[in-house]
Amino acid sequence: MENNESKLVAMQKERGPLLEVKNLAIDFTTDDKRAVHAVRDASFSVYPGQWVAIVGESGSGKSTSAMSVLGLLPGTGHVVGGSIKLNGQELVGLKQKDFDKLRGSAMGLVPQDPMSNLNPVWRIGTQVKEALKANNMDVAHEKRSALATALAGDEVKLNDSDDETFIGSTELPALLEAAKAAIAEAGLTGETAERSMAYFTEEWVPGSETRWRVADDLIKAGVNADKAWAIAKSHVTGSTMDDRIAGLLSEAGLPDAATRARQFPHEFSGGMRQRALIAIGLACRPDLLIADEPTSALDVTVQKKILDHLHMLTDSLGTAVLFITHDLGLAAERAQHIVVMYKGQVVESGPSLEVLQHPQHPYTKRLVAAAPSLASHRIISAKERGQDANALLEHRVVGEDKLEHSDAIIEVSHLTREFKLPRKKEMFKAVDDVSFSVKRGSTLAIVGESGSGKSTVANMVLKLLDPTDGTVTYEGQNISEFKGKRLLDFRRHVQPVFQNPYGSLDPMYSIFRSIEEPLRIHGIGDKKSRVARVSELLDMVELPKSVMQRYPNELSGGQRQRIAIARAMALDPDVIVCDEAVSALDVLVQDQVLRLLNDLQAEKNLSYLFITHDLAVVRQIADEVVVMQHGKLVEHATTDEVFDHPKMQYTRDLLDAIPGGKLQLGLD
Amino acid sequence: MTDMTTLPGQERYVAPLDETPLQDVDNVDESAPASSLWTDAWRTLRRNPLFIVSGLLIMFIVIVALFPTLFTKQDPNYCVLENSLGKPSPGHPFGFDFQGCDVYTRVVYGTRTSLSVGLAATILVVLIGTLIGALAGFFGGWLDSLLSRVTDIFLALPILLGAIVVLQMFKTNGSIWKIVLVMALFGWTSTARIARGAVLETKNLEFNTASTALGSSPSRNLFRHILPNSLAPIIVIGTTSLATYIVLEATLSFLGVGLPTTTVSWGGDISEAQTNLMTNPMVLFYPSAALAITVLSFIMMGDAMKDALDPKSRTA
Amino acid sequence: MGKYLLRRVLQVIPVVLGTTLLVYALVFALPGDPVKAMFGDKPVNQAVAAQIRAEYHLDKPFIVQYFIFLKNALTLDFGQTFAGQPVIDEIARAFPVTIRLALMAFVFEAIFGVIFGVISGLKKGKWYDTVILLVSLLLISVPTFVTGFLCQYLFGIKWSILPVTAGSNPGFIDLLMPAMVLGSVSMAYIIRLTRAEISSNIAEDYVRTARAKGMSNGQVMLRHVLRNSLIPVVTYLGQDIAALMGGAMISETIFNIHGVGWLTYQSILKGEGNLVVSIVTLLMLIFVVCNLIVDLLYAALDPRIRYA
Repeated sequence: MENNESKLVAMQKERGPLLEVKNLAIDFTTDDKRAVHAVRDASFSVYPGQWVAIVGESGSGKSTSAMSVLGLLPGTGHVVGGSIKLNGQELVGLKQKDFDKLRGSAMGLVPQDPMSNLNPVWRIGTQVKEALKANNMDVAHEKRSALATALAGDEVKLNDSDDETFIGSTELPALLEAAKAAIAEAGLTGETAERSMAYFTEEWVPGSETRWRVADDLIKAGVNADKAWAIAKSHVTGSTMDDRIAGLLSEAGLPDAATRARQFPHEFSGGMRQRALIAIGLACRPDLLIADEPTSALDVTVQKKILDHLHMLTDSLGTAVLFITHDLGLAAERAQHIVVMYKGQVVESGPSLEVLQHPQHPYTKRLVAAAPSLASHRIISAKERGQDANALLEHRVVGEDKLEHSDAIIEVSHLTREFKLPRKKEMFKAVDDVSFSVKRGSTLAIVGESGSGKSTVANMVLKLLDPTDGTVTYEGQNISEFKGKRLLDFRRHVQPVFQNPYGSLDPMYSIFRSIEEPLRIHGIGDKKSRVARVSELLDMVELPKSVMQRYPNELSGGQRQRIAIARAMALDPDVIVCDEAVSALDVLVQDQVLRLLNDLQAEKNLSYLFITHDLAVVRQIADEVVVMQHGKLVEHATTDEVFDHPKMQYTRDLLDAIPGGKLQLGLD
Repeated sequence: MTDMTTLPGQERYVAPLDETPLQDVDNVDESAPASSLWTDAWRTLRRNPLFIVSGLLIMFIVIVALFPTLFTKQDPNYCVLENSLGKPSPGHPFGFDFQGCDVYTRVVYGTRTSLSVGLAATILVVLIGTLIGALAGFFGGWLDSLLSRVTDIFLALPILLGAIVVLQMFKTNGSIWKIVLVMALFGWTSTARIARGAVLETKNLEFNTASTALGSSPSRNLFRHILPNSLAPIIVIGTTSLATYIVLEATLSFLGVGLPTTTVSWGGDISEAQTNLMTNPMVLFYPSAALAITVLSFIMMGDAMKDALDPKSRTA
Repeated sequence: MGKYLLRRVLQVIPVVLGTTLLVYALVFALPGDPVKAMFGDKPVNQAVAAQIRAEYHLDKPFIVQYFIFLKNALTLDFGQTFAGQPVIDEIARAFPVTIRLALMAFVFEAIFGVIFGVISGLKKGKWYDTVILLVSLLLISVPTFVTGFLCQYLFGIKWSILPVTAGSNPGFIDLLMPAMVLGSVSMAYIIRLTRAEISSNIAEDYVRTARAKGMSNGQVMLRHVLRNSLIPVVTYLGQDIAALMGGAMISETIFNIHGVGWLTYQSILKGEGNLVVSIVTLLMLIFVVCNLIVDLLYAALDPRIRYA
C-alpha cells in the first residue's frame, strides 16, 4: 500500500499536472453593463488520479471557477484573465466547437442538483447514450486511462486492447456455462464451486466487466491460465450500446440497470438520478471529473454511499476529480489537496490535513471553527482524551438529572398522522405513534432524513395540522381543544421559524411590517410602542435598525432567518419550533444563527423543538435527541447518549454519515 | 507528509491578509437604496423602451379621449352629404367619409368610445374574475370543482359567438353598458383562471403558514398576504385584456351588433367604409390605424408589465 | 392509459351539457316570435301558427324543449330552417368549406409560427429577432378585420395577385388569403410562445449537462431545447384548431366565404335559432374533442404526466 502510494506520487510528478489553473479572473456583466468580479487571481492544480477540493461558501466563486474549466460559464460570465491548461492545452479563449471535443471525453461533469440536471422527456438510458455517441465512444471496449492501466498492470499483463473487450449480454449465459464447466474441470466442487459461480454471476456485468477481468477471476477461482484466457477470448467479444449503457449505470451503483435505463427521470429518486448523472459524467472515461457539490441535495446517508462509490470508481479508473463543496469536513475527508476560496479569491491551499489542523488564514480558521461536522468530531476527540468537552460547546447542556426534574412544556403522546395518497386505497402513515416531551428551557431535536415525518410532527405541534390519533399538550392542556381566544393565546406562546429563508417572509411586507405583524394580530401596543418594540427585536438579532424600511428581497438568507427569529420573538413566546431553520444557510451564517438561538435560550429560558436532518448541528444546540425514520421514532435519548452510545443501527448510520469521521483532528 | 507527497504547484499557500481582507459574517449593506418589489418593478419598467413608448402613446390616447375638443373644434355628427368622400382639405386632414362627415373628427371622438368600453369591460372582468378565481383557489374542494366546471363551460363557448348571440337578443337597448356587460359575461374566465393559479401558488408559500402560526385568521391571510401577492399576474392580464376588449368592441360594431350607429366608434366607421374600399381605401385606413395603435400600445404595455412583474417569463 | 382516457371523457360530459344548455338558453331567449318571422309580411294565420308551434315544440316549457333538442341531436336530427331545409343539410354544405379554411390557416400558422419562433428564440437580440418580434406584436394588435381589409385591398385590388372574395365554392387559391388572415394572429402568438419557451429552456440545467457530455451545439438545441420547447407549442396548436373554426366568422364575412362562420352570422341576424344552436353545439364538440386530443398528445410528449 505504502509502496503503491509513493509509486503513484512519482508517476504524478513525472507526468505533471493534469489541470493547471493560473491567475484566473472571471467577470460577470450586470444589466447596466458593469463588471462584477466573480473570481480574481485564482490558481490551483489537479494531478492525474488526484482528488482536489475547492471549499467555499455560496458566492465564493468555487463553482464559477470549475465551470470555466468546462467552458460552461452561465449567463454573462467570461474569463478575463489568467490561464487554464488541461494536459498542457490552453483552454482560455477556446471556441465552443473545440470545447465540444474536450467535454465528455477529456473532462466530465457531475452537477449539483439531480432534480434539474436530467431532461425529463428522455429516458435515462438515452441520456447516457448521448454522451457515448457525442464522443464516438467504442462501446465494445473499455477506455482505461493510462494511469489506471499502469496501476492494474501490476496484477495482470495486458497484451493488447482486445483484453479490454466488454462482456455482451447475449454471450453472458454461454460464458457462465463455460465457466461452470471449467470450474468442474479444475476439480472444484460443492460449496467452493458454488461460491465462485455466485461471485461470477454477480460480478460479470455486461457492458462493464472486461475480458481480462473474466480471465483474472477464473484464474483466481482455480482455473488454469490458458484455459481461463481461452474461455475469456471465445465468450467475451464485446458489448452492444444497450449493454454498455446498463454497464455504466450499474457501475454507478444503480441496481437492475438494464430495466432502469428504460425509465424516465421522474421515476427515479434523487439518489438514483445522481447515480445516473455520475454514469453520464464518467461514460467517456474523462481524465478529469468536475463534481460540483454532487451530493448536497441528498439525504446524508445516501450522500455518503454515493461519494464512497464515486471514490472507488474514480480510483479504479484513474480519474482525477475536482470536487466542489461547501463542507470543509467533507473536503478534507475526500481530497488530498484543498483550495479554500473566499469572495472570488483563493485564501489558502495545501494538503487537506495540514490545512484543517493548522489553518493560517483567518477565514480558514473561522471556517474550521464553525463547521458543525468538525465541531462534533472535535468534541468526540476531546472526550476521548478525557478533557472537558463542554468547554467546546456554545450551548450549555442542561444536565441529565436536571432534565429529568424539569417539567414538560410540550408533551407529545402516541402521535399519528395519516395521509391519503392519490389513487391508492391504503392510507400513508407519515407519523406513526410518536411520543416525546420538550422540557422547559431545554432543546429537543428531531433528526431524520426526508420522508421521516419530522416536519409533520412539527406542524402538528404548531397546530397547523391535526393529528389522526394521539395528542399534543401544551402546559398540560390538549391543544386540539384550543379554539378562538384560547387558540390565539396558544399561538402567542408557541412560535415557528421555518426552513426556507426566502419563503417565510412576505415579499410585499417591509421588514418593519413583517416583525410588527404578530403585535398587530394580537393587538399589542400602539403605533409608537410597536416601532420601539421592533427596533428592540432587531437589536436582539443583531441587525441594524435601518433594515426596518427594507424588504426581504434585499437581505441575505441568514439575515432573513434572523428577521424570522425576531418575528417569532415579538410576542415573548415560551416555545419556538425551528423546522430546518438553519439548513439552507452557509456554514458561518449557520453558526451565527445557532449562536443567536443559544443566547436567546439562555436569556429568556426558551424551549426549542428543533427539526433537522443534520446530526452534526444537533450536537451544537440540543439537549435531547429524537431520531425518526419512516414516521417512527427510532431512538430517544440525551444528546451525549446518542453521540457516545447510539443504540440503533440507523442512528449509527446517521452518525457515520457526518463527514470527516475518519479524520485525525488536532485541537487548534 | 512532507515533500515526498507534495506535488509541484500544490505547496502550502496562504494568501496575504491585506489582499483578502476578512469581512464580518453576513453584514447588511446599508448603503444600497431601499427597494420593495414595486419599486424594483418600477425600476425595471423605467429602463424598458417598450414601456416608455407605450406609456407615452397611452398618455396621448387618454388625453385625446378625455379632451377631444383640444384636437378638433368640429362636431363628429355634423355631416354634409355634398362632402361625401371628399378629399383632404385644410381643416379636414383625413378627408370626408361617405356620409360627408369629417374623418379626422370622427377618429378623435372614437377614441373616447373605444377606451371607455375597453376600460369598463376590463374593470368588470378583473373584479369578477379575481373574485371567482380567488374563491376557487383559496377554498378549494367542491367550490373549486364547481367554479372550475363553470369556467370550462364558458371557455368552450367562443367569446365572439356568445357576444353576438346575446347582443342580437338585446338589440333594442342602445347604451354602451350593454356591450360592456356582454363582454364581461363571456370574458371573466381567463382572469379567473389566472387568479386561481396565482392564489393557489401563493397560498402554499411558507409566509402564509407562518402568519397562521402567528395567529392570523384565514380571511386575514387572504386579504393581507395572498391577494396582494397574486396581483402581479392579474395586472398583466388586465392590461392585455384591455386591448382585447377594444378589439372585440370594434369587431362587434363592425359586424353591426355592437354599439348603436348613432355612437361614434372606430368599428362602426370601418364597417361603413368597407363599402367604398375599392375607391376610397383611406377612409377605412384612418380609423383602422387609430384602432391598431391603441391596441398595440396596450399590448406593449402588457408585455412590459410582464417583464417587470413576472421575471420568470421574460419575453425580451 | 385507457383509464386516463375514460376519466377525461367522463369529465367532458358536464361541460358539453352545460355549454349546450347555456347556448340554448341564450338563443331561445332571442327576441321576436320565430313563428311570426316565418310568415314574413303576410298576416299570421292563428291555426297554422299553433300547429307550427306544436310541431317545433315551441309550446312546451324551455327545459323540455332543450331535452327534445338534445335527444334529436344525438341522432343528428337538428330540425329544419324556417325555409324548410333540414338544418343538417345547411351544416353539411358549410362545414367542409370551413374545415378547408381552418386547416390551411392551421398549416400556415404552425409552419411559419414555429420557424420564426425558433429563429427568434435561438438568435435573441439579433436584428431579425427584433423584426420578427415587432411584426408579431403588430399582427396581434391589428384586429383581424382590419388585416383582412388591408390584404384585400393590397393583394386583391391594388396588385391583383389573389382573388378579392372567395364565393360559394372556393378553391385553394381563393382561400389562400383568407386562411393567412385567419391564422395570422395565432401565428404571432406561436412565435412569441416558441421564443419564450426556447429562451427559458436554454437556461435549464439539463442543457448544461448535455453540453458537458460533449454534444455539439446543434444536437443540444435539437434534442434538449427544441424538443422540450415544443410541448406547450403543440398544446397551443391543438387547442387552436377549434378556435380557428369558431373564429372564422370575420374572415368568412369579409371574403364572402359560405362557411360555418358566415352561416352562423347570417342565422343570428335572421333569428334562425335552430341553426345557431346546432352549429354552436357542433363547434363546441369539436373544441372539446380537440382538447381531449391535446391532453393525450401532451401525455405522449411529456412522460412526466403519463397516466396521471
